[in-house]
Amino acid sequence: MRAVQRLLLPAALALLAAPRGAAEPVKLLRPDQYRSRIVAAKKGRVLLVNFWATWCVPCREEMPKLAAAARTFSSKDLAVVLVATDTPKTSREVPTFLSETKVPFVCWQVRSADPQPFIDAVDKSWDGTLPYTLVYDRKGDVAVRLAGAQTEASITDAIRKALGAPR
Amino acid sequence: MRPRRPVLVAAALAAALLSAPARAAELKIGATAPDFTLPSASDGKPVALQGLLSMNKGVAVLFIATKCPVSNAYNERMAALAKEFAPKGIAFVGINSNKAEPAAETAEHARKNGLVFTVVKDPGNKVADAYGAQKTPEVFLLDAAGKLIYHGRIDENQDDAKAVRSPDFKNALDAFLAGKPIPVAETKAFGCTIKRV
Repeated sequence: MRAVQRLLLPAALALLAAPRGAAEPVKLLRPDQYRSRIVAAKKGRVLLVNFWATWCVPCREEMPKLAAAARTFSSKDLAVVLVATDTPKTSREVPTFLSETKVPFVCWQVRSADPQPFIDAVDKSWDGTLPYTLVYDRKGDVAVRLAGAQTEASITDAIRKALGAPR
Repeated sequence: MRPRRPVLVAAALAAALLSAPARAAELKIGATAPDFTLPSASDGKPVALQGLLSMNKGVAVLFIATKCPVSNAYNERMAALAKEFAPKGIAFVGINSNKAEPAAETAEHARKNGLVFTVVKDPGNKVADAYGAQKTPEVFLLDAAGKLIYHGRIDENQDDAKAVRSPDFKNALDAFLAGKPIPVAETKAFGCTIKRV
């Protein structure tokens, strides 16, 4: 029990420490909740899920490009969700980064003592590379996988491809 | 600030020392690992995989970095494992394939962090390409025949070495030296992506 508390406490503190002005509070996400909380909830729209971490420089650099790409689509067509894979040690930096960069997306924080169950729950073919972006079509099927840092154009192309997928 | 590449690692020397085969997308367990000869980060002398294999029961190839916080979180653990397993016949070699981390910086990082094993530079990330290495830290454990017997992470807990529950790399080393099957031969390494040319 104490071990669980040790793991969860920093994440809980990160939630409490979310500065005013952050786009959305960071929510905790267990591996088994990924499909139901993230993917299933957005059916009917194209869903882009971006996996990142505060310690991952390419992830931080990619974030403004992601925001710029998403701005060109209607929120009726596209939902964007961030999933921070920070460990308890760095998770308190998540809301700070989101607030400072004014990232306008909902962000979840992975709650898993071992990263591998979460990686596998998201996508068996994902090797854990960050940043990693999955774009789901309107039915909730993966339309595009983007491993590594992307450009605004490559993200836009991926969303367009997913929007063109059959309903 | 972007570190400047030192003159001593000249492209010609790198080309002469490097003998990596064409890129393999992913090295499979049981496959023969690509051979390499790379310059030591500290003195530029060639370090040959074949030489390490011929003198040891196995070789642990670790792709590492100087600036990656995840790789750095494992410095002490990598050093401790090398100290424990080198006397048992496992050679450790650290490979730095990041384009922006030159040999002098790599050598200084190894010295400062007590990395007691040989650390080499991988100019042009050709060995990283040949192994399909993507992240730091990422481990490839080879038997004496050069066959891959473990690939992946060191353990699951980058934050706290004392709270590790799944020491996958150590488990593989222990099993290999005991002549037992590797409990989990493949795990998913996590860390920074190797910054390629």
